[in-house]
Amino acid sequence: MTERVTEQLAVGDVVADHTYWITRENLIRYAGASGDFNPIHWNERVATSVGLPNVIAHGMLTMGLAGRLLTDWLGDPAAVVEYGARFARPVVVPDDDIGVAVRVAAAVTEVRDDGLVALELTVKVDDQKVLTQARALCRLPADRPAPS
Amino acid sequence: MPIDPSVVGRVYPPQFYEVSREKIREFAEAIGDANPAYVDTAAARGYGHDDVVAPPTFMMIIVMNGFDLLMKDLGIEFARVVHVDQRFTYARSLPVGTRVEATTRLDGVRAVAGNDLLKIRTEVRDEDDTDVCLSEATLLVRPEDFDGGDASD
Repeated sequence: MTERVTEQLAVGDVVADHTYWITRENLIRYAGASGDFNPIHWNERVATSVGLPNVIAHGMLTMGLAGRLLTDWLGDPAAVVEYGARFARPVVVPDDDIGVAVRVAAAVTEVRDDGLVALELTVKVDDQKVLTQARALCRLPADRPAPS
Repeated sequence: MPIDPSVVGRVYPPQFYEVSREKIREFAEAIGDANPAYVDTAAARGYGHDDVVAPPTFMMIIVMNGFDLLMKDLGIEFARVVHVDQRFTYARSLPVGTRVEATTRLDGVRAVAGNDLLKIRTEVRDEDDTDVCLSEATLLVRPEDFDGGDASD
């Protein structure tokens, strides 16, 4: 069953892409939900005192948003079997109502015989990668339609 | 003061965590994720789960409890810490009601340009002592006497 789907995927295929927005409100909400109350994510005075340009997004929030791209595509959240990233560049979140745009795209890097698909995520703010080595290994549901 | 490498190998007491329906909902809302598998039991069953499951990065909540212990042990204030990388290897899904224990081990300390890089490994296991997830993370700890110069990436 799985073969039917994976044989339609080829290395280099971009299976999904989306732009997410992060505002200060999102940071507060994420801090509460995750329990990560590091003040560099909500307090400009503290953020700048430790050498950051301003309040920055939790790396795990950015990784969580990029993960949405995968789970939206897969349907089943548990189909992600490996997921990791390096937080290469801080995502500075302005104190306005618009926030910062994070563009995410996922491309196939390997289609394995065991039905697993390796993907590389490109995660950018203003054309600069904020996550690097952002990679996932996913189990494709048998009935998932291939990307057109 | 750099962190003394003799602390490498420290293992912290396992931290218990029970996955609750409302925490899954709250976390999914915080990342703006409308996947029905997080809130709708029938939708989750459609994917073969017994009940709603947690998003992949929800695992960080469980892993963070061990980070907190480690930072307290080493006397590191939170504001000096930057998350450098994070990787999860999932052995199974995380449905509501799952009771897990997370065991945190400090795998390495390396001084880089005045900062300390900590390699932290966390093993998350369920009540049957079965693997749920392996977390591998690097944290950068800025020096205590940081005076607010240029932040380098």
